[in-house]
Amino acid sequence: MTFFVDANVVVYSAVRDSPYREPCVEIMAAITRGEAEGRTSTAVLEEVWQLELSGRVRGLDGLTARAYAILGPLLPVTDESFRRALGLEAPALGANDRVHVATCLTHGIDLVISAHQGFDSVPEIRRVDPLDGPARAALLAG
Amino acid sequence: MFSERLQILISPEQRRALEAEAERREASVASVIRDAIDLRLGTVDRSARLRALEEIRAMQGGPFLTPEELNREVAAEREQQFDLPTAP
Repeated sequence: MTFFVDANVVVYSAVRDSPYREPCVEIMAAITRGEAEGRTSTAVLEEVWQLELSGRVRGLDGLTARAYAILGPLLPVTDESFRRALGLEAPALGANDRVHVATCLTHGIDLVISAHQGFDSVPEIRRVDPLDGPARAALLAG
Repeated sequence: MFSERLQILISPEQRRALEAEAERREASVASVIRDAIDLRLGTVDRSARLRALEEIRAMQGGPFLTPEELNREVAAEREQQFDLPTAP
């Protein structure tokens, strides 16, 4: 089962003192080992990179390159994705997250793993929260 | 650079699936095949992927920000790059 990995999963895998840390590392580990088919996009890693370069969360140096090594090849944000994003009825989501949803739909993915509850407002996709143990286990079991 | 030519036989079902995927992505069948190869076999070798995972596991980033705060920080970083005026 292919799922889409949101930026917060990547970031939380590298942030200490958070209940998200271990679940997000578990997700990244399953993808690394080829046990789970997690994909992400250029737009998601651009967000991670912005955060890394900003220094607003300290200690993220090198995170984007490492995440790329694990999650590459990335899904492209195509013309169709962007057109779909513009047409999405998703008031709880900002522009970036609408592009992520549209990227999923363009690539036939209807499952997003993310801590951001805003995705719950989009009927076309289902969100799994990294803290939801049973749902996470089912996702990683394929 | 793509320099290696590979000729293979596939089933009609596989061909239909490839063409449907290419149409959905607005991409060529060749790019769909290349992407599938990269996804299955990886463009980065396994040891590099495992090393990247261990390096992430060792990172000690912080502070923790909520997803909404992360989105705001990314937006703020972009605004700063574009040197947009802040609201009064």
